[in-house]
Amino acid sequence: MATLGIALLHAQDEVDAPQIPVSDPICVFFSGQQAQFFSNILPPQSNGGTVAGNARTNAAKLAKLTAIVASLLPPPPGGGPTSGAIDLANAGLIDQYLFSAMKSAGVQPANATTDWEFVRRITLDLTGRIPTPAATLAFVNDTTPTATKRAALVDQLLASPQWVDKWTMFYGDLFKNVSQNSQITTYPQSVEAFYQYIKNSLAADKPYDQMARELITASGPNSYDTSNGQINFVVDGVVTGGPTQDIYDQQTANIADVFLGIAHLNCLLCHNGAGHLTGLSLWAAQQTRTSAWGMAAFLSHTSTTSTAVSPPATTPRYWGVADTGKQNYQLNTTTGNRPPRQPIGTVSSISPAYIFNGATPNSGENYRAALARMITADPQFARAAVNYLWAYFFGVGLVDPPDTFDPDRLDPDNPPPASSGFGLQPSNPRLLAALTQGFIANKYDLKWLMRQIVNSQAYQLESEYDGQWSDAWDTLYARKLVRRLWGEELHDAIAISSQFVPTYEIATYGQINYAMQFPETINLPDGANGHVTMWLDSFLRGNRDDQPRSEDGSILQALNLMNDTFVMTRTASGSPQGALLPSLIGTSNTNLVNQLFLNVLSRYPTPTEMSEALANLSNAGTRSQEAQNLLWSLYNKVDFIFNY
Amino acid sequence: MTGPINTFPSRAREQAVLTPEQERYNKLCQKYPHARAPFSRRPDLSRRRFFNIAGAGLVGSYLAGSAKQAKACTVQVSQPVTAHNTAKNVIFIMLAGAPSHTDTFDLKVLNGTTPAAFNPTTINGVNWPMGLMPKMGQQLGKMALVRSMSATALVHSLSQRWTQIGRNPSAALGNIAPNIGSLVALEKAGDRQPGQVFPTFLALNSAAAPGNGYFAATYAPFRVVPATTGINNTTNPLGQPAFNELWSRLHQLDDPLRVNSPLGTDVDDYDEFYTAANQMMYNSVVTQAFSYTNADSQRYGNNTFGNACLVAKQVLAANQGTRFIEITLGNWDMHIDIYGISNPKGNNLFTLCPVLDNGVGALLNDLEASNMLSSTLIVLVGEFGRTAGPITPALGRDHLNQQTAIFIGGGVVGGTVIGSTNATGSDTADFGWSRQRYVKPEDVEATIYSAVGINWTTVRCDDPFMRGFEYVPMSEENVYGPIDELWG
Repeated sequence: MATLGIALLHAQDEVDAPQIPVSDPICVFFSGQQAQFFSNILPPQSNGGTVAGNARTNAAKLAKLTAIVASLLPPPPGGGPTSGAIDLANAGLIDQYLFSAMKSAGVQPANATTDWEFVRRITLDLTGRIPTPAATLAFVNDTTPTATKRAALVDQLLASPQWVDKWTMFYGDLFKNVSQNSQITTYPQSVEAFYQYIKNSLAADKPYDQMARELITASGPNSYDTSNGQINFVVDGVVTGGPTQDIYDQQTANIADVFLGIAHLNCLLCHNGAGHLTGLSLWAAQQTRTSAWGMAAFLSHTSTTSTAVSPPATTPRYWGVADTGKQNYQLNTTTGNRPPRQPIGTVSSISPAYIFNGATPNSGENYRAALARMITADPQFARAAVNYLWAYFFGVGLVDPPDTFDPDRLDPDNPPPASSGFGLQPSNPRLLAALTQGFIANKYDLKWLMRQIVNSQAYQLESEYDGQWSDAWDTLYARKLVRRLWGEELHDAIAISSQFVPTYEIATYGQINYAMQFPETINLPDGANGHVTMWLDSFLRGNRDDQPRSEDGSILQALNLMNDTFVMTRTASGSPQGALLPSLIGTSNTNLVNQLFLNVLSRYPTPTEMSEALANLSNAGTRSQEAQNLLWSLYNKVDFIFNY
Repeated sequence: MTGPINTFPSRAREQAVLTPEQERYNKLCQKYPHARAPFSRRPDLSRRRFFNIAGAGLVGSYLAGSAKQAKACTVQVSQPVTAHNTAKNVIFIMLAGAPSHTDTFDLKVLNGTTPAAFNPTTINGVNWPMGLMPKMGQQLGKMALVRSMSATALVHSLSQRWTQIGRNPSAALGNIAPNIGSLVALEKAGDRQPGQVFPTFLALNSAAAPGNGYFAATYAPFRVVPATTGINNTTNPLGQPAFNELWSRLHQLDDPLRVNSPLGTDVDDYDEFYTAANQMMYNSVVTQAFSYTNADSQRYGNNTFGNACLVAKQVLAANQGTRFIEITLGNWDMHIDIYGISNPKGNNLFTLCPVLDNGVGALLNDLEASNMLSSTLIVLVGEFGRTAGPITPALGRDHLNQQTAIFIGGGVVGGTVIGSTNATGSDTADFGWSRQRYVKPEDVEATIYSAVGINWTTVRCDDPFMRGFEYVPMSEENVYGPIDELWG
């Protein structure tokens, strides 16, 4: 070993390869990974003899050694060698459809991601975390064939508790779990109950269709009850300032938006499609308000009411949902949030009828149970579920925005007539159809769907693109579109990597350390004007009401990342909080730089980055400050802020 | 009064040099010829994830990339028009929730309904609820009331967005259309002077306002909630010299990924935000303009809307590049207890109108005192109006198309009323302007553009689908236009 170390030192001297991380005269290069190293530089078919013996006497072999060593280092982030070409021979259905579409369009896909890129991307996308240094190195150094080890990593991440946290947040957004919206206040206790429902469902791998049925049919007296949190999905449809029909309408609109991906139903609950939705949706333009009422009628036996928790105080209140009604959807309103509902001829009430096929509840069947049954049996349910997840992982839905599905424009074997002026809606209709069928066949298993997506080579393309990119190719998925991290992901990445994880005491919820565990996206963790809340809000978490989560950038985000105490306490001079810097400051400059990069960016520095950093660290008097400067810079680097 | 607008020569369109991809799409568009069709009709072109009907707007990103690249077809002027060009700045006050026009700006006194405390007073022919808004009532001589406006849709989110982007959000290019403020910012970008550090478009208390659409990120609204301390985090805890060192280290390290980013233009845009943020740091001009004293806040009503009006005045006075300021005052959606009969302390006209009155009243006084009113156009508008006549069983008023918009300053002739409604205020009786039809949000948009000297008939060729983005919809057909009567 020592001999080898000396040999490498001389190799460094003679061929000037500064990128070899050498920290001590005793070579600890790839400490802990010598076996890996040896197996790479001493292949069975080598020239024989020890490296040490040859290196000192043969410059050509020195060069070869250097090249081998250098190739084990991560490539520069802006490109460089990839892990391999696209393998279509063994491709799954996503790859078959997407790459043939790219080929037909004459568009070259980006290169495949390196292992370094992949481990960071997948850990963030599946669990909302950056990978730890140990996880990163274990993955990139694993010699198992690429596809196998990536699939294994995916399985490992899907099984983690962090996966549950991340997807509880995602579905909390979709199902709109929030303590206060523009209509009503449900209070933190209701949010906690709904949060527990979503979290427990995901942790138990509950099939998505079962979740949908439970949410649509939820009933119970108390929205705070953590064993029945799902009723909050129904409660969140309450609107004030109008008759009960306004509530039925909104609850129906929410169901259609979330589980069918058809927001246009909301429009139809005010007016006919003709005139209003012509040119927007071939299907919706042909629907009438009456047909939309047929959907809302499934809610017409449901009452959603609130009760004061501690009378005579009128607030706080809890909510209850019960199917005690006996009347159908009455046409007897003149005021409220929607245009008047008046009898049509002799028809003064509407019975439930599923808008797509006119199906009615079975005799004696609970109305919402009937609706849940019909929706979950409808392929559009599976289609919408697939597409919502696709839009998250790929940045653009196959139908986009994902709640604007037009049922009459989806079937490639039955496309809309040319006279309609419309074409097929999805960017790859057969892919969407195939993925939908697969989701159904695999019993609405969300993890099955995620595996299909993230194990595809299309998902694993790089963000960097050689050559001129055209915006129009986004829907060919010929490169991976970057994703700015959620505020919660940035918060947790900074806290964990600096090794200073906060503790927030949150009433009702108790102690929470990670932003990804917050039950909702408003007023947490420290109140509406709290400093951490405002930091998170600047990253546009959305309010689960009328402002969706957004990836837009802003000046405020830049100011917060550069100057806010949340970042500065972990990087500032004096004694920064967090064990990362103190644990490294006593080690060599090279090791300091390597470990900072590895902890924060999940990669090693490029040769240029290393030499710049070393130059800054070279003055003993300012070394400590420059180390902090470097950590600060890493938190403000775009390859920290974005998932690429 | 101006006459009808003349017909104009057909547009001269520069022939763009198209990439093969654009050729392909143009062929597809020719195959489905719908010149004015919504872009959703175009086959196989799905909208991108940014295009969210209710969403916060688009980061310029790839689309800005196409705008930045040199293109043969850029800005086109469809028709030569004469914009009034009397205003330098705009303050756009969005009255979110839709105020009841018959209780406020188009007062209809109904015996047994209208509260006596409204104190209806006729001022120069205008009946005004002095009991609700005395300060604005005293300044009616500065205001032009447009009472013949009528919204098309009665849905809050849709109509608010419609009002702020000046077009139907569901129609052609509606989903990538920029906020009116972003368009003004783009048009006025050339006016910016070196050393000016404020974004051209400032949005106060307007978290839900639409963003820059497909325009570049630099035209995005700068969203601020006013605070006595100004903007958060414009200094670094380590002090300015240490921060400058940090800044230099960051760019040394990260510029290869930030500038002409290999990761895509989303990342380029992010760098623009950093640059703008840096310019706002350690800048006394920023602190002066965005912070305020308690005394000043009291003058404006001592609430967040008043503070926004105060900051707006200060920002414009600072002359640091801001030209369009949007302020949102919500809570107007009074379906329940609009007069506070059942709960005087709840949200009703008696609790909300003073907020508007104190803020706008002080704003107009201060702008006039500093000689800025004649060059600052102030627009007050909701997304629609509210039902007229008796109140509902819920003691409130519901949604109604009929509404009133108010224009103040910026060259507009004050003390005027354009259009009028019937006895109850439920519909327009006299349109009051040359187009002889309801005033629409598109007309309000055209009015704003004309006021600041923008040709509202412009059609840009840089939208991502090469369909042409019209500043005001259907300008070739001259369907909408400025309310020229505002200028006398």
